[in-house]
Amino acid sequence: MEVLVLFMMVIGLMLMGVPIAVSLGTSSILFLLVLSDTSLASIAQTLFQAMAGHYTLLAIPFFVLASAFMSTGGVARRIIRFSIALVGHLPGGLAIAGVFACMMFAALSGSSPATVVAIGSIVIVGMREVGYTKDFAAGVIAVAGTLGILIPPSIVMVVYASATDVSVGRMFLAGVIPGLLAGFMLMLTIYIIARIRNLPKGEWHGWGEVRRSGIEAGWGLFLIVIILGGIYGGIFTPTEAAAVAAIYAFLISSFVYRDMGPLHVKGDGHNLALWEKPMALITAFFHRDTRDTLFEAGKLTVTLMFIIANALILKHVLTDEQIPQQISSAMLNAGFGPVMFLVIVNVILLIGGQFMEPSGLLVIVAPLVFPIAMELGIDPIHLGIIMVVNMEIGMITPPVGLNLFVTSGVANMPMMNVVRAALPFLAVLFVFLIMVTYIPIISTWLPTLMMGPEIIVK
Amino acid sequence: MAHAYEAKTALGRIVNEIEETAIAVILGGMTLITFINVVLRYGFNTGLIWGLEAVTFLFAWLVLFGVSYSVKVTAQLGVDAVINLFSPATRRILALVAGAVCIAYAALVLKGAWDYWAPFAGLDATSGRWFPTGFENSRDQAWYEVVDLPFPEWLRWIEPIMNEGETYGKLPRFIPYAILPFGMALLLFRFIQAFVRIWTGESTSLIVSHEAEDDIKDVQHLNAGD
Amino acid sequence: ACDDGEIVIKMSHVTNSDKHPKGIAASLLESRVNEEMNGKACMEVFPNSTLYNDDQVLEAMLQGDVQMAAPSLSKFEQFTKVFRIFDLPFVFKNIEAVDEFQNSDAGMAMKTSMERRGLTGLGFWHNGMKQMSANKPLIKPEDAAGLKFRVQPSDVIKAQMEAIKVSPQPMAFSEVYGALQTKVVDGQENTWSNIYGQKFFEVQDGTTETNHGVLDYMVVTSTDWWEGLPDDVRTQLGTIVEEVTAERNAAVGQVDAEARQAILDAGGKIVELNAEQRQVWVDAMKPVWEQFVGDVGQENIDAAQAINAKH
Ligand code: NA
Ligand code: NA
Repeated sequence: MEVLVLFMMVIGLMLMGVPIAVSLGTSSILFLLVLSDTSLASIAQTLFQAMAGHYTLLAIPFFVLASAFMSTGGVARRIIRFSIALVGHLPGGLAIAGVFACMMFAALSGSSPATVVAIGSIVIVGMREVGYTKDFAAGVIAVAGTLGILIPPSIVMVVYASATDVSVGRMFLAGVIPGLLAGFMLMLTIYIIARIRNLPKGEWHGWGEVRRSGIEAGWGLFLIVIILGGIYGGIFTPTEAAAVAAIYAFLISSFVYRDMGPLHVKGDGHNLALWEKPMALITAFFHRDTRDTLFEAGKLTVTLMFIIANALILKHVLTDEQIPQQISSAMLNAGFGPVMFLVIVNVILLIGGQFMEPSGLLVIVAPLVFPIAMELGIDPIHLGIIMVVNMEIGMITPPVGLNLFVTSGVANMPMMNVVRAALPFLAVLFVFLIMVTYIPIISTWLPTLMMGPEIIVK
Repeated sequence: MAHAYEAKTALGRIVNEIEETAIAVILGGMTLITFINVVLRYGFNTGLIWGLEAVTFLFAWLVLFGVSYSVKVTAQLGVDAVINLFSPATRRILALVAGAVCIAYAALVLKGAWDYWAPFAGLDATSGRWFPTGFENSRDQAWYEVVDLPFPEWLRWIEPIMNEGETYGKLPRFIPYAILPFGMALLLFRFIQAFVRIWTGESTSLIVSHEAEDDIKDVQHLNAGD
Repeated sequence: ACDDGEIVIKMSHVTNSDKHPKGIAASLLESRVNEEMNGKACMEVFPNSTLYNDDQVLEAMLQGDVQMAAPSLSKFEQFTKVFRIFDLPFVFKNIEAVDEFQNSDAGMAMKTSMERRGLTGLGFWHNGMKQMSANKPLIKPEDAAGLKFRVQPSDVIKAQMEAIKVSPQPMAFSEVYGALQTKVVDGQENTWSNIYGQKFFEVQDGTTETNHGVLDYMVVTSTDWWEGLPDDVRTQLGTIVEEVTAERNAAVGQVDAEARQAILDAGGKIVELNAEQRQVWVDAMKPVWEQFVGDVGQENIDAAQAINAKH
């Protein structure tokens, strides 16, 4: 009952024009002060720890920064030109390429918002250039970005595995086919929409343009090699990869493309070569362009993280009051069979996903539903994938959806427009959820093939 | 992308320059430390053991310091679909109510921030659950150190003041945590300013208005003729 | 949920609630308090770091937002450095020796040693002895030389790793599995329960049974809260904690052995060391004691050695 009031309050404040972060925070604080003995100091602690205690969220500022350098320094422009040359003339081509880019990136990153940040700021601009509406572009990326937690590596899967004692390796393998399938379904949807609505497409400029733009964009495209190679070559973790990407983008922009920094010459004049101004090696770090790019990235990070931090306050308050436990146990005690049980699990997670960020919700719900699922003979890996897909949906549904916030931030558009734009693709994810829920082999086939049948130790 | 913020007074320009530079420097520092640790680990099989902790603290500083700036330049994200349906007069009232909610939020968080930080700084937390009603006699926690970040030598002079003369091995927690009361006090100040701006009719909303920007861009698009 | 009039005891910890030694103990404590003290007190346990992690929970306890916690002993080094004795390598021969030390006068004194800073210790909970794993077989310390190990943040453990020329790397716990898998770091040290629970064995060449250190916890409460409890409540609660501690500590060998066996069943490799091989590790790491003798006290080291001789 109280939860309903909380829910209404969050929505009511948001619709009144209160900033999202403050709507989440104020509702949580009032809820806490009225219903519990917990102190206001704990709110401050949660706020600080939202950044200091969540190491994996660090990927957000670093990818925001990498994108900022790539946009300012001309890296993004060259990549977009190349992509348009390659697929811009196909129906839905660039949007499909955007989904593909998200899938590629999901294979690097364990987090969905990071995927949106990294891909969104480049691809959305590119799609706009070919003539897609901003809404369509944002909708595609917001939803495709959720693949970040389904395609391995995935932080959410690590959380599930440690909460339920299943193998992380198995979970990762289990995510591969559903991840590819979901990506394929999104691409197919785009293609169909493109055909029906006759979406804009560019002209084919020939292989010459592909080659020219490809060479131009080479330094930027090489970033993909660096990130992939660095992560799988054991040089850095996915979070560190984001920082490396930012530094790389800075170096390329300042010293190779020279579209920013001390070697940049405004107007049509040729940019300076490094040997003409070797001091640039030092001054680039303090150049006004560098400062401005860092500042713009910092500003976006601040607005995104302040929302996420307040969402974590909400999570803290709900946990403190044991709300997820109460709801889950009320629904689970009803005693259903496997089919109905999975419906209930989906409902709990979908409702929970409206309010809480994925790892936090999963770590609470997984231990509650896991023993019952085992009783009913549901495969733990299969259950894990169902949960992850639910988390994906939660990320693009209001009022609390990290991907919505992040897309709204990077695309610079109202959150409700993102929600509306994401709807058709959200529908696809729902169909996908039903498939994953009732066709276990989608999740279990690959891990069983690679690692043998699972031994369930009760 | 975004319009640069224009301050009206000389002081305003100086403050703005400080705020923007601080945000840039903190983010740059986080990135550099992380990058250097990758280089040290992979290239030299070593590492700054305190690097991870330093970066997470800087992350908290970035957001808790920067949030007041984002209020100043009206960069907070929100939902404006509904308020845009109302007449300007109604919108003004809604904006004033929203402003009051923001002030209340910042005031509550500031009290929480003080209560959390004060014991770490050897000061007293406030009493009262909702509003500060006075000071309680808090247990001194100025001895409480962070996990990895070493204590800088040039700060040794604070040991007699803060730590009863005992030496600090690691940075005491009140230093990184100081951003909480500081940042939240700034936030409260900026929300009050924003409220006044709405009151005087200087601005109409607390959140980014995307509609206006989109309109301008769409028009530009047409004008360019492409 | 708790009834009106009951004293609410919130406990937050970082493991699961049914497989990890600490989680099992906390669940047992919760059910016993809620049964035996019904009407007087009510306990709510928050597992899996859902409410606080080990670092935050002590802050929250000092500000009165949780009443019980059981962080690993290294978290108390900030309160008083004597706790560093548990991080020192090879100070304790086995978990029985650890148990005896904790129940000796020296151990008892440690429980009250933090009261001036607001924490009261109620009991030591075992996890077990630490083992080492890496992406290559570790038979002698030289095998580890030049490798990068993820370590828990602790000056002692850093020094221990440096003694065998291992580069200690800080890393968020959530990233360790992936980092071991892609070889960003080469190895780690932990107990059988944790290596099994976190699945580290899946991405390591093998685990060497070094038993070189101990990973234990202390159940703590806020001194102010504890002393403010009605006498009968405090006595009854204290007794329950003691009984749960004794029961679960006695069973920890079993949990440990099960985790070890589960690793073998899942295809993990375990390297056993004979006495001679183990001595090489002892000789390599023991010099670390000298660095920290000022913190932990020679008398405590001596007491531990005297206890070792009996086991
Ligand atoms: Na991923
Ligand atoms: Na949601």
